Amino acid sequence: MANLGIFVDMLFNAFTHTALLVFVAGFLYRLYEFKNTPQPLKIPQTPQATTASGVFARMAGDVLIFRSLSKGTKVLWITGWVFHFTFLILILRHLRYFVYPVPGWIVSLGDIALPLGVLMLIALIVLTLRRFTNERVAFVTNPADYFALLLIIGITVTGIMMKFEPFRPDIVAVKAFFYELFTLHGMFGALIFHPVHVPANLVFLTHLFLVLTLLVYFPFSKLMHAGGYFFSPTRNMVNNPRDVRHINPWDTATEEGNNG
Amino acid sequence: MADEKTTTDSPNDVVQKLVHFEKIKPKPAELTGEINTPCISKNASFDWKVQLLADKDQLNHLGYPADGLIPNWKEVFLKKMDEMLNKYRSVRLFMDICVRCGACTDKCHNFLGTGDPYNMPVARAELMRKVYRRYFTWPGKLFGSKLVDGVDLTEEVLALWHTYYYQCTECRRCSVFCPYGIDTAEITMAAREILNSVGLVQKYLHEIVFKAQTIGNNLGMIPDAVVNALEFVQDDLQEELEIEDIRIPIDEEGAEVLFVTPSADFFASPHIESLYGYAKVFYQAGISWTMSTKASEGGNFGLFIHNYEHMKKINSRIWEAAKELKVKRVIGGECGHMWRVLSSYSNTMFGPFDHLDPKYPRPQHICEFTLDLLNRGALKIDKSANDDVVVTMHDSCQVARGMEMGGHPEGQYDIPRGVIKGVCNRFVDMPQETIKERTYCCGAGQGLLGDDMMPIRVKGAMPRMQAYSAVKKSDGVNFLALICAICKAQLSKMLPTYGFAMEEAGGVHQLVAKAIVLGAKEGV
Ligand code: SF4
Ligand code: SF4
Ligand code: SF4
Repeated sequence: MANLGIFVDMLFNAFTHTALLVFVAGFLYRLYEFKNTPQPLKIPQTPQATTASGVFARMAGDVLIFRSLSKGTKVLWITGWVFHFTFLILILRHLRYFVYPVPGWIVSLGDIALPLGVLMLIALIVLTLRRFTNERVAFVTNPADYFALLLIIGITVTGIMMKFEPFRPDIVAVKAFFYELFTLHGMFGALIFHPVHVPANLVFLTHLFLVLTLLVYFPFSKLMHAGGYFFSPTRNMVNNPRDVRHINPWDTATEEGNNG
Repeated sequence: MADEKTTTDSPNDVVQKLVHFEKIKPKPAELTGEINTPCISKNASFDWKVQLLADKDQLNHLGYPADGLIPNWKEVFLKKMDEMLNKYRSVRLFMDICVRCGACTDKCHNFLGTGDPYNMPVARAELMRKVYRRYFTWPGKLFGSKLVDGVDLTEEVLALWHTYYYQCTECRRCSVFCPYGIDTAEITMAAREILNSVGLVQKYLHEIVFKAQTIGNNLGMIPDAVVNALEFVQDDLQEELEIEDIRIPIDEEGAEVLFVTPSADFFASPHIESLYGYAKVFYQAGISWTMSTKASEGGNFGLFIHNYEHMKKINSRIWEAAKELKVKRVIGGECGHMWRVLSSYSNTMFGPFDHLDPKYPRPQHICEFTLDLLNRGALKIDKSANDDVVVTMHDSCQVARGMEMGGHPEGQYDIPRGVIKGVCNRFVDMPQETIKERTYCCGAGQGLLGDDMMPIRVKGAMPRMQAYSAVKKSDGVNFLALICAICKAQLSKMLPTYGFAMEEAGGVHQLVAKAIVLGAKEGV
């Protein structure tokens, strides 16, 4: 296979490792930050369940079918949902590059991967268009919102391209690249000028580059809604303030129990 | 660079000009029965400012700067904001996770009424997020405001905050539709406290916080005046009903129930009609009760500004009174935000309530109490006394989007309706999009009831007025039942503004008062 040169290899070796590290550490740190900030008062919002299992069910509804969002405009709800779930399935499909042997259910996703990719792209385009065409959304849209959308559109387009000749990468080479990257040699090879070779396919490299950029960007952006939702006090607190006393961690008097 | 324009104006001079209050006469919207989303119209309500508090004694007592904007305001501002971010997970999280999807943009009554884009919940919150991204995230600290869609602190930013964080009634409607439950009310509360800390203190709201803390109620009535007012009500009641032993007891130790309600109920109209209702229900149920001069206020404006200490100080009066009077139960009257503080926050601040009777919810809502009596047949009711009205109910936002009632997540919708249906023959709900969890605020909640806020009050009441006019047209509705003192004050003013009769607004217990048949008791 053609060689792109040691510097390109080194760049991608290092970038992959750093991006993963930044993503995992950053994501966990942000969650830790959310968790560590006290919530002084009970502020769940109706219709909130009065039991923990009910709260779990409500949150599951929000995560799985975007229930709160479904109460508003249906176009946003459906496109938002389609985008997130096609994205999720396609991410799972990518496990085939990292798991040996590839489980049957991932293989079976192969048939629908392309239609899902197209569906995801359509959803992304609709989501982008509404940021121009709906004047209210346009007013609140920041450049960062377009950045995130364009990044993911770039990932989707390059991903779809690789389904077609002449952009198809050598799958074996791709697998080998990731496999080697996480061996001892792969971890430190770049430092001693023996990087793992990246497959020389421009579309693939663009795809990889955009994905890594997304990973680095993730913890520092609004994309943290992914983990942040679970800490949302209007959604994750049980609606029983009269029955179960909630302690305000920074009201020292409350801990003693009675301060009347 | 900032020094380029040589000016001798102090930051306070600059800000005072920007937030200057001017009386503006608002025009109500045309009633069509429909709530349409307006096109955005920039700065539509930018000139509608609230008055600032100037009374130095009050400001000193509350611990806020007494001479307007302080010279080192930026430093203090950021310090206070840091404190808010570290004390309230709600605020920190909501700074970080909004995706600006726009789902909330058409959900705020104040946006629907004004069309001002900063009244879209997400745009309102972005006013704070811009500062957050610039000063509290490391990309912002490193690369400045441009890269992170942030903003540098200026007096103009302060003016935007002051304007639009006082055009939010903290009603939480936006949060219902947000995929992550982002509650703009939490952000508004924090923003107001940050403004307070640098010296931009609202007059209406803080005068009341001051009076409630120092005198004991929002109206600033001294204990003697409270006693007089309630005796006056009692005399009226006894005379009118020709029943000598119906009472409005005050400070009576050993009573079963301590009853707390907004002080407006003592004589404002239509509030007082509900006070008659409470007295009749207690009388007929044969349950001893008392009001308290110390806890002569149910309302708690401390809630509106994320100032836990203020809120706690006001709330403490209720629990001190409960202990001093050795009551077994505490019951709250008709009031939205009062109920939220009482039911949701009291337990955190002053629980556990081991000194109260564990058989009943602690504390309890008057509608829970009355419905229970109705269900048990303990009250004799003549529904036909209310046959002159077709009733609909405005769900007060703080109740509707607050906590459970009767142990059920949706009890706050069903229980007041249960009381109404128990005393009236004809009840019709307004359109689903405008009631229960989706209820529209009356337009004057959480510190917006002052006369200086009249323009935003009139515009913000539009959705409720449209919904009311719709059922009026379709079902001949002529009574808007309320369970909140602020709603009562606001809507009895808005109804005439929009061309309805003022008397069409009133409390749920006003209807109870009319239908209850006193004396003729058939076994409790
Ligand atoms: S609905 Fe929630 S996430 Fe969407 S813009 Fe509004 S506050 Fe942000
Ligand atoms: S809390 Fe209510 S008033 Fe405030 S932004 Fe949300 S909908 Fe508007
Ligand atoms: S006054 Fe009533 S509707 Fe208005 S804010 Fe309070 S509870 Fe909400």
